[in-house]
Amino acid sequence: MSSILVPDIPAPGFSFDLCQRNSLLEKKGYPAPKAQKTGTTIVAIVYKDGVILGADTRATEGNIVADKLCSKIHYLADNMYCCGAGTAADTEATTNMISSQLELHRLNTNRVVPVVTAAKMLSQMLFRYQGHIGAALIVGGVDNAGPHVYCIYPHGSCDSLQYTTMGSGSLAAMSVFESQWRPNMSEEEGKELVADAIRAGVFNDLGSGSSVDLCVIRKGSVDYLRPYEMSCKKGEKQGTYRYKRGTTAVLQKSVRPIIIEDEMIQRVDHESMDTSS
Amino acid sequence: MALVDREPSRYLPDYDVQAPKQLHFSPYADNGGSVVAIAGDDFSIIAADTRLSAGFSIYTRKQEKLFTLSSNTVLGCSGCWCDTLTLTRVMAARMQMYEHEHHKTMATPAAAQMLSTMLYYKRFFPYYVSNILAGLDSEGKGVIYRYDPVGHCEKNYYVAGGSSGALLQPLLDNQVGYLNQENVEKVPITKEKALAIIKDVFTSAAERDIYTGDGIFIKIITKDGIATDFFELRRD
Amino acid sequence: MAVEQRISGVNPMGGLLYPDWQHAEHSTGTSIMACEFNGGVVIGADSRSTTGAYVANRVADKLTKVTDYIYCCRSGSSADTQAISDIVNYHLAFHRMELGTEPRVETAANVFRELCYNYRDSLMAGILVAGWDQYKGGQVYSVPLGGMCVRQPISIGGSGSSYIYGYVDANYKPGMDKEQCVELVKNSLALAMSRDGSSGGVIRIGVITENGIERSVVMGDKLPKFYEG
Repeated sequence: MSSILVPDIPAPGFSFDLCQRNSLLEKKGYPAPKAQKTGTTIVAIVYKDGVILGADTRATEGNIVADKLCSKIHYLADNMYCCGAGTAADTEATTNMISSQLELHRLNTNRVVPVVTAAKMLSQMLFRYQGHIGAALIVGGVDNAGPHVYCIYPHGSCDSLQYTTMGSGSLAAMSVFESQWRPNMSEEEGKELVADAIRAGVFNDLGSGSSVDLCVIRKGSVDYLRPYEMSCKKGEKQGTYRYKRGTTAVLQKSVRPIIIEDEMIQRVDHESMDTSS
Repeated sequence: MALVDREPSRYLPDYDVQAPKQLHFSPYADNGGSVVAIAGDDFSIIAADTRLSAGFSIYTRKQEKLFTLSSNTVLGCSGCWCDTLTLTRVMAARMQMYEHEHHKTMATPAAAQMLSTMLYYKRFFPYYVSNILAGLDSEGKGVIYRYDPVGHCEKNYYVAGGSSGALLQPLLDNQVGYLNQENVEKVPITKEKALAIIKDVFTSAAERDIYTGDGIFIKIITKDGIATDFFELRRD
Repeated sequence: MAVEQRISGVNPMGGLLYPDWQHAEHSTGTSIMACEFNGGVVIGADSRSTTGAYVANRVADKLTKVTDYIYCCRSGSSADTQAISDIVNYHLAFHRMELGTEPRVETAANVFRELCYNYRDSLMAGILVAGWDQYKGGQVYSVPLGGMCVRQPISIGGSGSSYIYGYVDANYKPGMDKEQCVELVKNSLALAMSRDGSSGGVIRIGVITENGIERSVVMGDKLPKFYEG
């Protein structure tokens, strides 16, 4: 029984109610709309005092750029962030869910949540859905044991690495890391290296573009730099495209007078809250 | 010790469906690219971006997709690049044969008709190319012809084709064809305005179409010949 | 090793245009090996993990701890094998607390077998379970694709293994000591890695005895060299 005061709590997890109907529709020639995929370049490295995450900001829908300035570095907890590639809705929803679980975990344990906890939660969730949640993630953060970078695939496998890349631009970005990454880099060197890797993706991979976002996580502090750099300047327009007044066609005109039936003035006094009962 | 087969599949062999499998070979590739052309009273301008790509990778950032067929005819191609190369070579050869036979250069309308014939000749294994032909007609007026891959030919005065054709055509309809504009003086477009519009539409296309970018080659065809221009676009 | 590939991302000529990281399963195209000796076991693995033709991780660790004295060598889908070893790790930690002593290697192998057999239709995992216990000393159990479990004095697995069956058969002698086993594992894996395209990187070695594990790495430029024809 549900009422307005006590609404029905929907069953947890995903709803598969419409799967049968949708497959029937698809057979009849009404395919389901495609989910927005972020052809992406995301990267992360470990440097001297922490980790640096990087991402481009292009979201694509087929061959069309759907979002020129989307954010791919998601918040997980105060000491860790997560880059997402793949289906935009999945990366967003997954990181949000895990973020809330991590906060509850932090309140329960009253400790800085280890980065490995987040990585395990994410990989266990993705494994449970057997790759149907199309989220490819890079988790980076600093905990009491130091800086960590984890790379999680949609099927739920998880690697702990010093530097990693993901998304359609991962090859371009990895070539930068494989030639230039060193242990114990300074923050400035690290930021420039990560930006270089993202730029490699932005310019050489059509699924990545626009600008570079960075997130530097040190022990006790975070710099979320968005945008860190606009990699590409928008072209300047040659002409002007303003229309003169009256350019838009008026198809129909109808005027309806407001009929005043009654006029009333009511004073509204400040009413104190009823605390008697 | 034989425990794991060399390439174990996801399903064990016993469960696998023992049915014939059909594998496809696709002879076509989509290498992207956009072409825009605008014709005026005494000129026609045709422009194409210079990015050649496949999938998510860029093959080159400096590929000219405009082919000068004669002193007043230019063909712009986008789509499957290998088909473009073949088509334009055959086209050039046919133009030369015409010149030798008739002792004159093929006029733009004739070239337009020949292209249509050549495309339809391959009706059941078409050239996967979106063609736009720009030139001057017998009176020296600018003309544009657009084609589908199997040879349908249509004469026009402003056309956008290729990967961002659908993005740009409505813009040209509005800005060049004055569609959906009331109370405006429908003046014939000037060369300067056409050039500005072409640059601007490509700037816009590069913002939203991942297969258009890097730069555009522009050919301005007048009775005095063909002038060339280049304009930079974003490279991401 | 076997990786699911969809048509997208694969060009008509069969080569990969770009890694199909969205669909291709991240898997450990692998060479793994385990060998018993008197008083313990030697385990070894390469370090390459691939997604299609792309090396997703060149320093992967396929020697995964289950308890302090029991390790497993993973081959197949890395998602599947990581999940399985996590679960076995959980069960055995619990079992160890109830038991008050270290679990038997046989027990660990049977927990692996149970999972691999029950979920044989949805898993792609070939696992070697190796370790030491006080009852039977060093032991190697092989749990291959369908979920069988068998003890073997020496066992190899993964896509690279098929290149070295002959070598291992010719060079394994019962009753080898620790050093000889380590040498055999190194040589066998180096041979497998040089022939198998989806194996490579470094050789990770672990020696498990009653004193726990002793791990070492043979770097890529220090691999034993053989004739390459």
